[in-house]
Amino acid sequence: MLIRKWKKKAIEFSRIEQIEAELLKQVPPCCEMDEGSGAESRIFPPPADAAEAELLRDWEEYVRPELRHLFRSAKETVEADLDLLKMKVGRLGRFVVPLEHGESWLNALNQARLILAAKFEFSESELSAFDLPRTFSQRELVLQQINFYAAIQERIIEILNTADNPKGSEED
Amino acid sequence: MPETATETKTEALLATPWNVVVHNDPVNLMSYVTMVFQKVFGYSRDRATRHMLEVHHLGRSIVWSGSREQAELYVQQLHGYLLQATLEKSEGC
Repeated sequence: MLIRKWKKKAIEFSRIEQIEAELLKQVPPCCEMDEGSGAESRIFPPPADAAEAELLRDWEEYVRPELRHLFRSAKETVEADLDLLKMKVGRLGRFVVPLEHGESWLNALNQARLILAAKFEFSESELSAFDLPRTFSQRELVLQQINFYAAIQERIIEILNTADNPKGSEED
Repeated sequence: MPETATETKTEALLATPWNVVVHNDPVNLMSYVTMVFQKVFGYSRDRATRHMLEVHHLGRSIVWSGSREQAELYVQQLHGYLLQATLEKSEGC
């Protein structure tokens, strides 16, 4: 898969193989989490320690719904962008998203990675190792999925950084 | 008198500097954390990178200090980017 800035105003995802398309389509479902789960605690961490009881109460009542809305909106943007990706047998896929969707992509990819990492309780050393899997357990494959999403994030960050700083601009 | 005492306490609380602290987490990418610090606080790339490395190596970094109201807003923005951030009373206050 190739990800690059396209016509100065968009991000192009091209040369997408079937397996990569499947993983991309998994981003929005991976943003779903169970109420009261460890994943939910990670997505909505407390803003202060327990001594700040009033702040914690207000946060729960006013801020958390706003954050939930923000995360849902990012997920829905990515979902709609991915509807443009139509794979045909034996052919590589391609789709283009507006540059301003870049932040929603970063957000949704981050949600997916954080939720997967929390669900499978990956340790810091597992997450920072970039070894090829020794086995093909579900756990190993999910770790590869997290790393695949991280690679996409890195590329989008590069593109957004060059968009903010035209001196370092990439050629389309 | 009680009213004055309450007002004084509230004023003192508002005047106390608060720290915005970002905590390490193994999932968020270093480049992402740097980008977020630049966007939220308007920091230069160098300053944002310094704070990111402090989070990475020391487990936390005080990324901003000031009024409680502004600190709450920054923590909310950082949570919006899915960083683990808290506000704390500045030590020695």
